[in-house]
Amino acid sequence: MASNDPEHKEEEETTAAEDEDTGAQIAPIVKLEEVAVSTGEEDEDAILDLKAKLYRFDKDGNQWKERGAGSVKFLKHKKSERVRLVMRQSKTLKICANHLIIPTMSVQEHSGNEKSCVWHASDFADGELKDELFCIRFATVDNCKKFMETFQEVAESQKGKEENKDASTAAELLESLTVGEKKDEEKVEVTEEVKEVAPEKVSEVKAVESEKKEE
Amino acid sequence: MALPNQQTVDYPSFKLVIVGDGGIGKTTFVKRHLTGEFEKKYEPTIGVEVHPLDFFTNCGKIRFYCWDTAGQEKFGGLRDGYYVHGQCAIIMFDVTARLTYKNVPTWYRDLCRVCENIPIVLCGNKVDMKNRQVKAKQVTFHRKKNLQYYEISAKSNYNYEKPFLYLARKLAGDANLHFVESPALAPPEVQIDMAAQKEHEDELVKALIQPLPDDDDDDAFD
Repeated sequence: MASNDPEHKEEEETTAAEDEDTGAQIAPIVKLEEVAVSTGEEDEDAILDLKAKLYRFDKDGNQWKERGAGSVKFLKHKKSERVRLVMRQSKTLKICANHLIIPTMSVQEHSGNEKSCVWHASDFADGELKDELFCIRFATVDNCKKFMETFQEVAESQKGKEENKDASTAAELLESLTVGEKKDEEKVEVTEEVKEVAPEKVSEVKAVESEKKEE
Repeated sequence: MALPNQQTVDYPSFKLVIVGDGGIGKTTFVKRHLTGEFEKKYEPTIGVEVHPLDFFTNCGKIRFYCWDTAGQEKFGGLRDGYYVHGQCAIIMFDVTARLTYKNVPTWYRDLCRVCENIPIVLCGNKVDMKNRQVKAKQVTFHRKKNLQYYEISAKSNYNYEKPFLYLARKLAGDANLHFVESPALAPPEVQIDMAAQKEHEDELVKALIQPLPDDDDDDAFD
């Protein structure tokens, strides 16, 4: 929100002081203890880490929709050498993309925009596999190039790994699946007279099914 | 608090009531947090929609059940039922529409009639817009009533996490509570069959020619 006109400067000053707490003293209603925090990325090294904005293609609406702005990373597993793409929202640090890079994947430039590119993935950001068409936009052409090059290199490097996957990787995956969270995003609408319950998502059922398949 | 037919969770959850005039961006703000999208189209909320919104903190996962309410009077002035058992609240207005700020005291009064002594954040939305009518200095209501105030923009994500962070800190009585990286679980193996691959290619052709919704602004990378 940088700007040189005086009016905006004034606002910036006010917003700087904005973090002052003007709220009333209120007794807390829960007691929370500090817990051990895991990023889930501990056994991986970041190959690339860039700021970007991510979009997903909404088939029904035939349009791109924003998914989040933050950092996108390629993470290489220290043992298995598998690589995945993980993107987190800035500030809330929530995950907006999380998928493996596999040899069949390819990334291509978004029409007429050298700062953005497009690819298909089976995404696990919500803890369930979902087919997504992603588009990512960078601040510079250079960053976009770097991203696309790394993406292609990684996809290439994963060839052959498919066949000699060792049992430990499979075991790891299985483990991670069982601790996978259940998603409950059901949206409930209430009007004054009518209570409407949106149809329950089948996501949980799906998650359970895929677990079984793995076993 | 979840609705009776909504799943409860085994981690702390709070009922968050979001009020304010119609069209100021309450639903857009909630959606932004839910899916990341920014919806420009205005479709008034009817009654209330309850969305569970999770955050990961250094004190574990927490959930806000966001009661996104109808701001437009014709869609039913809010019944007390919407406020009952509210544990925290956001009162929002639009800094480009003076009347929406003038109505803040009414929303505050209605809310406080039912919910006493809950943490409340006043949010001035749309601060990314040029045609601002309510300047930061003119916002004084929060000082009179001891509320927290944030200037936010659901469009640019400016301060968009602050209201939740503030409320979480107050509800837990922990000024050091902060958001942490949520665990990125290992994605399972996938096999793509040829039929799906074909479908993907067709979709790609369509998608490649669609412009990004905000291709024009290059400043929103943080």
